[in-house]
This record gives sequence, structure tokens and C-alpha cells, in this order.
Amino acid sequence: MSAEPLVRCDQLARTYGSGRSAVVALHGATCEIWAGDRLAIMGPSGSGKSTLLHLIAGLDTPTAGSITWPALGQRASLRPGPVALVLQGPSLLPPLDVTENVALPLVLGGIDINQANERAHRALDRLGLITLASKLPEELSGGQAQRVAIARALAQEPRLLLADEPTGQLDHTIAADVIDVLLEAAGHTGAALVVSTHDPAVGDRLARCWTVADGRLSLDQAPDAPHQEEPCSA
Amino acid sequence: MLGLTWIRGAVTHRPGRLFATATGVAIAVALLASIGAFLAGSKATMTHRAVQTVSVDWQVEAQPGADPSTVLSAVTSRAQVALQVELAQTTGLQATTAGSTQSTGPGVVVGLPDTYRQEFPGVIRDLAGARSGVLIAQQTAANLHVAPGDTISVGRAGLPPVDVRVDGVVDLPQADSFFQKVGAPVGAQPQAPPDNVILLPANLWHATFDLLAASRPDQVHSQVHARLSHALPADPSAAYTQVSRSARNIEVKLAGTGLVGDNLGATLSAARGDALYAQVLFLFLGVPGAVLAGLLTATVAASGADRRRREQALLRTRGATTSTLVRLALLEAAVVAGIGAVAGLGVAAMVGRLSFGTASFGATTTTAIVWAGGAAIVGLVISAVALALPAWRDARSLTVVGARRVVGRARAPRWMRSGADFALLAGSALVFWLTSRNGYQLVLAPEGTPAISVSYWALAGPALLWAGAGLLAWRVAYLLLSVRRAVPRTLARPFSGRLASTVGATMGRQRRLLAGALALVALTTAFATSTAVFNQTYKAQSEVDARLTNGADVTVTEAPGSSVTAAAGTRLATVPGVKSVEPLQHRYAYVGADLQDLYGVRTSTIVAATKLQDAYFQGGTARGLISRLGRQPDGILVSAETVKDFQLRPGDTLRLRLQDGRTKQLTEVPFHYLGVATEFPTAPRDSFMLANAGYVARTTGSSAIGAFLVDTGGNSPPAVAAKIRAQVGTSATVTDITTSRKVVGSSLTAVDLSGLTRVELAFAVALAAAATGLVLALGFAERRRTFAIATALGAKRRQLGGFVWSEAAFVTAGGLVAGAFTGWALAEMLVKVLTGVFDPPPAALSVPWVYLAIVAAVSVSAVIVAAVATIRRAQHAPITALRDL
Repeated sequence: MSAEPLVRCDQLARTYGSGRSAVVALHGATCEIWAGDRLAIMGPSGSGKSTLLHLIAGLDTPTAGSITWPALGQRASLRPGPVALVLQGPSLLPPLDVTENVALPLVLGGIDINQANERAHRALDRLGLITLASKLPEELSGGQAQRVAIARALAQEPRLLLADEPTGQLDHTIAADVIDVLLEAAGHTGAALVVSTHDPAVGDRLARCWTVADGRLSLDQAPDAPHQEEPCSA
Repeated sequence: MLGLTWIRGAVTHRPGRLFATATGVAIAVALLASIGAFLAGSKATMTHRAVQTVSVDWQVEAQPGADPSTVLSAVTSRAQVALQVELAQTTGLQATTAGSTQSTGPGVVVGLPDTYRQEFPGVIRDLAGARSGVLIAQQTAANLHVAPGDTISVGRAGLPPVDVRVDGVVDLPQADSFFQKVGAPVGAQPQAPPDNVILLPANLWHATFDLLAASRPDQVHSQVHARLSHALPADPSAAYTQVSRSARNIEVKLAGTGLVGDNLGATLSAARGDALYAQVLFLFLGVPGAVLAGLLTATVAASGADRRRREQALLRTRGATTSTLVRLALLEAAVVAGIGAVAGLGVAAMVGRLSFGTASFGATTTTAIVWAGGAAIVGLVISAVALALPAWRDARSLTVVGARRVVGRARAPRWMRSGADFALLAGSALVFWLTSRNGYQLVLAPEGTPAISVSYWALAGPALLWAGAGLLAWRVAYLLLSVRRAVPRTLARPFSGRLASTVGATMGRQRRLLAGALALVALTTAFATSTAVFNQTYKAQSEVDARLTNGADVTVTEAPGSSVTAAAGTRLATVPGVKSVEPLQHRYAYVGADLQDLYGVRTSTIVAATKLQDAYFQGGTARGLISRLGRQPDGILVSAETVKDFQLRPGDTLRLRLQDGRTKQLTEVPFHYLGVATEFPTAPRDSFMLANAGYVARTTGSSAIGAFLVDTGGNSPPAVAAKIRAQVGTSATVTDITTSRKVVGSSLTAVDLSGLTRVELAFAVALAAAATGLVLALGFAERRRTFAIATALGAKRRQLGGFVWSEAAFVTAGGLVAGAFTGWALAEMLVKVLTGVFDPPPAALSVPWVYLAIVAAVSVSAVIVAAVATIRRAQHAPITALRDL
């Protein structure tokens, strides 16, 4: 295990807008994510979970505080690279088929198209989705689409796998299935897994649980004790 | 209530799309209403111009046995001015000057009341001598070698001749109508006015011919010349109806004692033909613009279709029925149409005032209301078709799964499978071939009949070509993107490098969208190109028309009988503003019994000096035929009629009788026929000849010049003409092309199209910018989520650019190229179909390269702005896009 965390946040804050219309989405968030973590970020809609996840993914920049990726590198090299993101809602590119969608981050990362397609097929095969390889996103069900999105993350062989409300638009059975796939993908690549969700059932599947309410992050335990296996509901 | 909430939501949450849709409607409304303003302006101008060209509105001829004073009083009751004019046949004229006697054949002696010239100033033009007294026509004076002060003997049938003293030499610019056979149909009219004409004061005429009237009444007749009130309807058709009704009414009143020669009616009849041509121009130039604006509006609305479907789905889950959804869509369409119509009419009124001098949309209040209302209704229809129709279709037939579809498995559109593009192109070729058989007679205006019609059928040719070529461009683009990977990948490679395969795949799967956008760009470019080329060609031909009439920038016509030589041109060349001077000999020559104009030219300089067009000649180019003339000193170019009448073949000898400058007698001069000339600056159409000036001078012993053609080299022709007038005084007539341009006939070529051209071209640029930039920008905006996802996956600016630039380049470059070809083909067809508009027909198209470059630059700039904005937005705000969409 690395001696350094994957992500380190210190008094992280994100405010949207300015003046009287300013909305504080997140403030004072201090936390660390370590390799092998299985972490749920819980909270109701609009609490700031997605904001925190986007900041961790390097997709957004904080308005105060700092965030670093000690074991992953600079923000510019996170994606495509060691960080993979599964987005809320449909996140496949409509004009690309399943293989092309899964291969896209690899191609963006400079990998040869043939090699990228091979890796995409392997990822799809691992998740039992190879039969969908030539389908278009519009021909998939919601659950299938989300599993393909996970396959896309898996194909990148990331060190940190982030999933933003991956089951938000799915029923419970399919949601449970998607979480299985996520855990399997993370297990296969050895990546840390961080899932934002408002669903306690999803949170229960993960080892650790943080909560966000009104933009404030509460950790289940001190950041320096990362390995305690305790579900969210405990 | 729900409707208000819906509209408030649309205004608050998607004002951009609402504004863009209303802009499309506004463009269509403004374009149609602007052209209405042009038609209003041009039709009013046409009536005004037509009236101005008529010297005598009516010539009412008293029938044999009728009392002329009865006719006069009947006409006086209807006219503003009515004067009695007498005409007598003379058996011949004779004059003895400088010891030689000249005689002419029969002629006409006209008796005019004292106030005639004051009341009808356009009938007689002074050339030399006094303005009143015994006036002799120019050609007659030339035939008799007489000048003011000389005496001529006028022959009378069965009576001794009478001597009169010439006071002045005049020209009769409208001799054809003045000496018309009143009441005779067109085919039975004399081919040419009489060669010999003398005008006498009424009292002298009566003293001379009353005896003849008693002994030979068949040799004398009486006419009443009338000027009517010119307070006529602005629309030439309505003016024609009013004037011709009035003429028929007076004929009924005269009960056979008089026949009306309705000169004003005949001129207005031609003008109403021109008015219909203006209407045709509207159809050619305005309707495609409005159709494009409609297509743009539909495209803009369609680019928001996914969002609309989601909104509809949401409403349906809250219990909205199909009729509720359609009502909401109709309400939105009405609001968009309302905003678009108000804005469009406002723009059109402004454009009308600035370009055509009128803010009205029609020649009369009724037509103004019809134009404005019609344009607004078109806006409403466009809005309804673009917004409400898709909403209704989706509400009726789309399932929830269907609503999610954004790409769809490849299946060619139905029109493509049925080959509609090929059918349209074949239809266009067929119509063009069928209509070309009647010589492209688009406007049919039989002389003397109130009915006038346009062969709208002929318009189908270019219309079908435009639509067919647009669909063909769509098909070609679609097929290119359909070829499995290879072609799209190759197209994308320059912009996306290693991403080419992925970008090619996205382009291939979006081929319907991209091919449609390309077709829209092609249609817009074709519209801009064909409009611009047509307008430029029209403008060039108007210039040619004016140049044909005037001869050059400034023309100095010497008085008949003068013996000015080419040396006088050297003096003219010293006038400030004169670049060069070309001397042109003018003689009258007998070809058999026909008297025709003969022009002696300097073959080495005449082509460049007069900008001779190839269309003026048959059987060769202008340069080719004139240089052949230069190589053969006794060569001659004659009219096609002369060739036909005398069965001439190249090389045949043609003997003309020309006046010898030394003996003043007609002398026979042999020429060799070389070719056919149909037009020549200052020459009457189809009855003139061109020969070498040197040969004419040598064989006639006179190098007298008839006119000097002055090139001002870009300096103001009226200003240079004024300076020349100051130099030559009254010894010669000086005319300039600017003034000629204003008075050239009643043909539509005389209508100043520059205002319409400006409007058309400005709209075409706006449409081109919208078809490229706006449509791409909205298309990209609709795919913001796609770009945001790509950014979230790690796409860099350059990689996002690969997606955006590949599509933009394909659509823009493909559309511009396809549009340029289509535009060129359309312009060729338009010029052929609208041959009647051109006088003379153009030898080749005139291409406004600068304007076309501007269209291309504006289109490309609009695309660059749209693409850069898309890339920047996707990179800077992926989170917002992911949250919002």
C-alpha cells in the first residue's frame, strides 16, 4: 500500500455564483481517500455530494481550501488516467456504439484505437456485456447503460473509481446489480471506490460511509484510520 | 392559465431558442414584405416612366366623311388638351441647292396648330434653325441637301407644286407612333415612318392643301392629338385598364366617326408586362429566400426537439392530453409568429424606406394590406409548421422509448429511397426543355388585349432544380458518411488526428443530421450565388442597354449635313475628363428601295471604344467579325433581315447607293457581305450596316463624322457632357449615358433594381450566416451534454475541437461547394428563362466575385464563431451542462 493517500482535501469549499445569489454547495470539507477504500458519500439531493465528487475527480475547482492527489499526480493528468468517473444519468455518447463508448477514454488518453477496442472488449466481457458490444446507447436499458458506463471506467484500469449516484434512476434490483458490478470492477483493478448516493441500501454495500448535509461533510471516522470495515448503517 | 405559464417558462428558461425561431420567422416576413415594397415602388415607377415616354396620348383619326370638329369636341370633353392636326400626302419634294436639284419620292406634310409644340413638347426635337414656321425632318433635309433658308417645292396630286421656305430642321423621335395607321392591327402597321416629312403651321397647311382636300379627299386626313390626365393608378395594369376603357368609351361616343390610336394604352400595356416580370422576379428571388427562412426556422426548432419531447413527456405524466400539448405548441407558435411578424414588418418598412423610398408594402392601400398581411400569415404558417406540427406528430405517435432516441439506426429517409431528388432534377430538365421551345416567352401580353398572363409553368424549371440539387447534395453527403468508417474517418483525420476513427464514427451515425445541415447550407449558398449572379448580369445588361442607346459615356452627335471630320475629335479629347474619343461616320444608304443607316467605323479601335458585345453579332464574336471587316476594306456587316431579303451569302457583292460628298448625287458603291450585326451603339435595331470608315470616305469623297463616342474613363458622364456642350455650343447634340439610363424604354431593364438587389443580397448573407453559424451552434448546443461527458472523460480542448471542427468543416465546405455549383447552374437557367427581362440578352454570366467572397467569408466566420464558442463552453462548464441536461 502507498504511504500517501490518493486524494487529500483540506477545508475544501465550492460556492456557485456571487453576491446575494451565491450558493455554497460545499464548505470546510477535509478528508483523505486511500487506495482500496470502499466509500459511500451519503446525503439527500442537493446536499453537496456531487460537488465533492466532481472536485475529487478534478472536474471542478474549489473556491476555497485545497485538494491534492498525492498518489495520483497533477489534476491535468487525472482524466483520462488514474481517475475514472461514472456519471449520474445517461452518460454514454449517443452516436458511438458500446465498444466505442468504452474505448473512448483510452483513445482520448492516446492509446491506439485497435488496442483500445481490445481493452474495451475485455472490460465488457468481464462484466458480461460483450453481447451488447455493437449496440447503440439508445438500444440499451437504463441498467445496461449504467453497466456499460462502469465497463468504460473499468477499461481504464483506474486507481480511483468515482461513481456519482450511479443507481439514482434505477430500480432496487437493478441498482443492487450495478453496485455488484462496481465492486467487482474495483476489485478487479484494485481501485479505490467512492460512490455518492442518497440510497441507504447502496451505502450499506460499502465499507465506509461519509455523509454530507447542507454542504458540510461528516466523516465516519478519522481520516487517519482508513481501513476499518464498517457499513454505513452501522 | 397553463398556456400563460408555458409561455412565461419558454421566455424565462429558453429565450435564446425562442429568439432564434422568431428571427427565422422575422427574416421570412421581412423578405416578403420588402419585396412587396419593391414591387410597390417599381410598379408606381413603371406607370410614371411609361407615361413620361408618351408624347401624344391619343391620336384620334376622323374617318372619311366625318366632321373633324365633331371629333375634336368629343375628345376635348375627355382630354386635358386636344388639338387638331392635319396630314396630307405629297407626291414628292424637290430642292435646288448649290446648283444641283434633288428630288424625293412621296412624303407627308403635317399641319400643326400654333400651340402644338407647347402642348406636346416631346414630338419634335430641334436640330437646326428656327423652332417654328416650316420645319423639315432631318432625313428629308439630308435627302434634299437643304438647310434653313432654302426653298423646297412640295408636290400635290393633280395640283401644281407649292414652294415653301425652310425655317428649321427637326427630328421626330416618335415618328413610328406619330405616323401610325390608326386603328390598324400591329401586323398591318407601316414598317417604317415616311422618309420625307415636312411640318407646316396650320394656316399655311390649309392655304396649301385645302384645295387638295376638296379635289382628292383621299390624300388628306385629320387627326385630333390629345393629352389625358396623368393622374393614373400606380399599378400599370390598373392604369392600362383605365386608359383603354376610356379610349373604347370615346370610340363608342364617336359612333364610327373617329378611331382612337391609344399610344398611352399601348405603352401602359408594355409596362404591365414589365410589372408582371417584376412579379416573376419576386417569385424567383423572394420565394426561395422565404422558403429558406422557413427551413431555417424549422431547423432551429428541430434542434430543440429532444428537449421539447422531454417536456412533453413530463406534461403527459402530469395528465396533459394530446390536445393540450398541441394547444400549447400552437400558442407558442403564435407568440413566435407574432414577435417575428412585428419585427419582420418593422425591418421591411425600414428597408423599404431606405432602399425603395417607400415604407408601404403595396402600390395601393389594399395591396399594402395584402402584402403585409400575407407576409405575416406566411410567418404564422412557418411558425406553426416548425413548432406545432412536430409537437402534434410526437404527441400522437411517439412512445416514451421513441422519445429517447437521438440517433436512430441507419435508414435512409423516405424521399431518398424513392429517388425524389432525381425525379425533381429530371422534372426540372423536362420543364426547361419544354419551356425553351417557345423561346422563354414568360410574359404573354398580346397587343391590344386586356388579358395578360405569365407562364408560371416556366418557373418550375429553376424551382425544381433548386430543390432537386439541395436533396442531391443531401444524398451525396449521406452516402459519403454511410460508407463504413473509411470515408468519414478520412474526412475527420485533418481535424482530429488519432481520434479520427471515433470522430468518423460519430459523423457516420449522425449522417442524417449532418447531411441535412449540409443541404441547408447548399440551398442557402445556391440562393445567394444565383441571386447575385443574376443581379450582376442584369446590372451589366442594363449598362449595355444604356450604352447601346447612347453609344458611349458621352455621345456628340453632329448636325445633319455638317462636314465635321475626325480631326474635331482631337479637340474634344482636350476637354477635361475625356479619356478617349472615337469618331463614327453616319450615312444613309439605299439597299434596293430600303433606306438604312450606314456606320463607318475604325476597325482598329471601335471594339474597345464601344465595348462591343458578342451578342450584337451573329456568326462570330465582336472582335472576330470587326477584325475581318478590318482585313477587307470593302466588307460590310448587315442585318439579318437584309441577308434574308437579298438572299446574301458571305462574299456576295452588295451594291448600295450613297450620297457623294462632292456631287451630292447618289452614287453606287460596291461592298462585300461579311456577316450579320444585330445591334450597334446608337444604331436602330435590325436595320443598319457597318463598314470601314476609310472605304466609305474614299468612295463617297467625304470623311464627315456623324457622331463622336467619348469615353470618360470613370469620370462623371453628365459633368463631362456639360463641359463638351460648352465647347461645341449648338453645333452638335451632346448626350450622356446617365441621362439615357433614366429614359431607356419601358423595358424592365429600365427599372432600377439596385434597391432590390441590395436587399436580396443582404438577406442572402444573413441567411448564409444563419444556415452555417446559427444552425451549427444550435446543433452543438443541443449536444452540450455529449461534449460535457467527453470533457468529464478527459477530452482536451484539441480533442473536443476534433469533433466540432470535423463536423463544421464537412457541413460548411460541402455545403458551399454544392451550393456554388447549384447556384451557377441556377443562374444559367434563370438568365435563360428570364431572357425577356434582358435587352440585349447577355453573352455570358457576370459573376460578382467580391460579393461571393463575402458570402463565403461570412459563412466561414459564423462557423468559426459557433465552433469556438461550443468548444470553450464545453471545456469551461462541463459540470453545469451535466447538471442542467
